[in-house]
Amino acid sequence: MSKGTNPTLPLEDKDLLLKIRNPETRNYGFNLLVRAYQQRVYGHVRKMVIDHDDADDLTQEVFIKVHKAIDGFREDSQLFTWIYRIATNECLTFLNKKRKRFFLPIEDISGQLAGKLDATPELSGDEIQKKLQKAILTLPDKQRAVFNMKYFDELSYEDMAEITKTSVGALKASFHHATKKIEDYLSAD
Amino acid sequence: MKKLEDIPKKDLFKAPDGYFDKLPGIIQARVSKPEPKSIWVPVLKFALPVLALVTVGVFWFSNPTVQNVETELAGINTEQLMAYLDNTEVVWEETETDGDWSEDDLLELEDRVYSTFTDGSDLELLDEILDLENL
Repeated sequence: MSKGTNPTLPLEDKDLLLKIRNPETRNYGFNLLVRAYQQRVYGHVRKMVIDHDDADDLTQEVFIKVHKAIDGFREDSQLFTWIYRIATNECLTFLNKKRKRFFLPIEDISGQLAGKLDATPELSGDEIQKKLQKAILTLPDKQRAVFNMKYFDELSYEDMAEITKTSVGALKASFHHATKKIEDYLSAD
Repeated sequence: MKKLEDIPKKDLFKAPDGYFDKLPGIIQARVSKPEPKSIWVPVLKFALPVLALVTVGVFWFSNPTVQNVETELAGINTEQLMAYLDNTEVVWEETETDGDWSEDDLLELEDRVYSTFTDGSDLELLDEILDLENL
């Protein structure tokens, strides 16, 4: 039996969920969901792990997890904040595993990611944007995720609070400190 | 001090051309594929009890203190047995009354010690003697 949908959900999400919960249209509905969110998920993941292949693997894993868990989605949050939460957790887990596998401290994994930044010729920005990315990479992973969500993805603090399960006040403070650290880095040279 | 707002906001990271056209199909194929069932769960369900039984069996049948006492005793010469007796509370009156050891005395002594060991007592001391012999 299919669940009813939350009236506060955006129409597109309601429609997607109805299709996914109907066994006859499940595959089609899920395909639509992937198409609707793939660019945002990939963009969020890519900014966290820098490397395209890693971002590709993680993006696939995120949607496979979404597929497995979609029947348990309670609709007390928006679909995109729920998917963002899965994506953020996947990234943090990936970076932690990488750190443990190579016994790397935080600074070294930042250095490694910055190295990937230099080694990726297809990056489209100019020097100041690359420098900004390097500055962002000096932040701890969670603070980096918060900064990216606010600065690049322009999410509201309320949505970010849903995604990170952190208070709005803590997120504001985290973003403020991150901005300060980045500006210090940019001013250092 | 450089301010963040002075830097034009731009997403540096671009996916390869056509990536987002192919990705839904790749994900759909992965979620449609039935999960490979682990072959280890049913195998381990039977293998672990069998392994436990084999381990117990090997331990039981190769336990030297139970099976090999006779073999170990056969390898000890009479002088070592006498040395052992000097260090134990085995009482044998003849040893106190007669300082000379005939061949029969020694065989009888050996039989007594042998029966003591096969009763399962004083095995630790026997092990010590054997260890000393191997030094």
